[in-house]
Amino acid sequence: MSTVAVQPSSAVAPPAPVRRPRKASRWQVLRSLALIVVPVFVAATLITFLLGQASGLDPAAGVAGDAASPEMVARIRHDFGLDRPVAIQYLAWMAGLARGDFGVSWFNGVPVAHLIAQRLPISLSVAGAALVIGVVLGSVLGIAAAVRRGSWLDRGVTAFASLASALPPFVVAIVLILVFSLWLNLLPAAGYIPFSEDPAGWLRIIAIPAAALSVDIVADLSRQLRTGLVTALSENYVTGAVVRGLSPRRILFVHVLRNGAGPALSVLALRVPMLIGGAVVTETIFTMPGIGKMAADSALRGDVPVVQGTLVVSILIVLACNLVINLLLGLLQPATRRKD
Amino acid sequence: MFKRLIASRSARPALAILAVVALLVALGPLLTPQDPLAQNPYALLEGPSARHWLGTDAFGRDVLSRLLAGSPVSILASLLSVAIGLVLGVVPGLLSVFLSRTFEWISLRLVDALMTLPFLVFAVAMTAMLGNGLGQAMFAVGILITPVFYRVGRAAALAVVNAEYVEAARLMGASTAFIIRRHVLAKVLPAVAVTTAAMTGACLSIVASLTFLGIGVVPPEPTWGGLLATDLTTLYERPYGPFAPGLLIVATVWAMNALADALRDLTAPPQEHWA
Repeated sequence: MSTVAVQPSSAVAPPAPVRRPRKASRWQVLRSLALIVVPVFVAATLITFLLGQASGLDPAAGVAGDAASPEMVARIRHDFGLDRPVAIQYLAWMAGLARGDFGVSWFNGVPVAHLIAQRLPISLSVAGAALVIGVVLGSVLGIAAAVRRGSWLDRGVTAFASLASALPPFVVAIVLILVFSLWLNLLPAAGYIPFSEDPAGWLRIIAIPAAALSVDIVADLSRQLRTGLVTALSENYVTGAVVRGLSPRRILFVHVLRNGAGPALSVLALRVPMLIGGAVVTETIFTMPGIGKMAADSALRGDVPVVQGTLVVSILIVLACNLVINLLLGLLQPATRRKD
Repeated sequence: MFKRLIASRSARPALAILAVVALLVALGPLLTPQDPLAQNPYALLEGPSARHWLGTDAFGRDVLSRLLAGSPVSILASLLSVAIGLVLGVVPGLLSVFLSRTFEWISLRLVDALMTLPFLVFAVAMTAMLGNGLGQAMFAVGILITPVFYRVGRAAALAVVNAEYVEAARLMGASTAFIIRRHVLAKVLPAVAVTTAAMTGACLSIVASLTFLGIGVVPPEPTWGGLLATDLTTLYERPYGPFAPGLLIVATVWAMNALADALRDLTAPPQEHWA
């Protein structure tokens, strides 16, 4: 996506830590991002809304049952505002979203916002933990492989990344359940405990799902980081820094990482939607009452507002993460701001 | 091209695995030793034996037969979704460079929007709400992978459109259609081949995830992902159950990824690795 496609060219990037960015340029960044983010949000919500329209689903069946008379169906449709033109419905829905009103479930009449607020922390704790594991492990492996290029460590990381990118999260999850709950009997394989009730239990219960979701990120991040760093390490400014007698650590962490981390960060931004999507699978396997499972169950029941609400919240999270990563990219590599 | 692929050392194991998978797809349903749907209440959850090589599931169905019978659906569904994504992605991607700026802007924002959708949640929602079926699932996955192909087509066209030889062709009066046919396609096809291989692997994994969730295929019909779902419910009785379907999925996806890498090494200069 172009919000993340700011591919930095390390050749252009200045070698040394650069001056603090000026305020004006930061505003420009925000403005150009807003020009991309707002249309994308509108388009994504439009797709989400039209999906509900295309489904041809109706709350009448769920509320009134099979024996509903035509008048009753018409009344229910009117109550839900479904007899209005599609464009009006969309605008009304968007206006509701802006107020935090996601509509009510067609199935049990509970406000969708309430349903999501109840389940979001569960999904976020798993996705967040997966992100932390992925970023930490991926960075360590990627940096180590790039620094020790050609060593057994490098080959090991590359082989792991190639294998791991072929592992669907649900397969990893099953293997981890087999090893850690069935054989070693160390970790629970199902359920959920809120952090506020029992932090240790919470950690134990999200450990396997988070690890299963993080494998992809570890593989992708370490591979991209390795490629980016290897490219950056072969730049002339690195030779220059070595000649000037800078310590290897300083060269790596101050100069090379700054310029070589761009592609890895962009990949991370692309991974966020998959991470949220992966919640459907892990929450089903581990029977966790998160938003992924709720979306799947609601979709199968034909509960359109709940599905739409979940999708909108996910889109907002993805856009927010992209924004953060883009700002990070801009801070890390002022050169990327010159474009656009 | 194919000869060079066979000659490359990294592609050979991948091609071997894919050949086996192709055989499974073509002959799998014919080779089933038993009826994949037949239940046997006297042989529930049996271990591997001469009669049931991979044992039986909780309904006494022969696991090997189910695995073989499920092969075509599992593979063909992902191939078809890739085909949908390829056509709906590459064509607008190419056109975005040549048509008006309005088309370019709208298509770029649409692609961005598609990429912000949480992939699996949306695929599940779309399939289920459009009437749970394999066709809907393939369509949903196909639509969701269009951005990848769009960007490949667009990048290739952008790389060519300002090249001097294209400018020369245009000065000689070549039409846009001719330039696309003659110059752009030559540039696009290798990149598309690489992306297609990579996305086939990805789609296999996605389709397996969907069928695992019971989306796209109605339960009694066997699929690789669906087999894993039944294995998960009987994990305590048959802890070895997930290995056969899991291994098939992972090996096929790995082989497609390795093939994509080998193709990339053959077609692209090494610098374009993380493009």
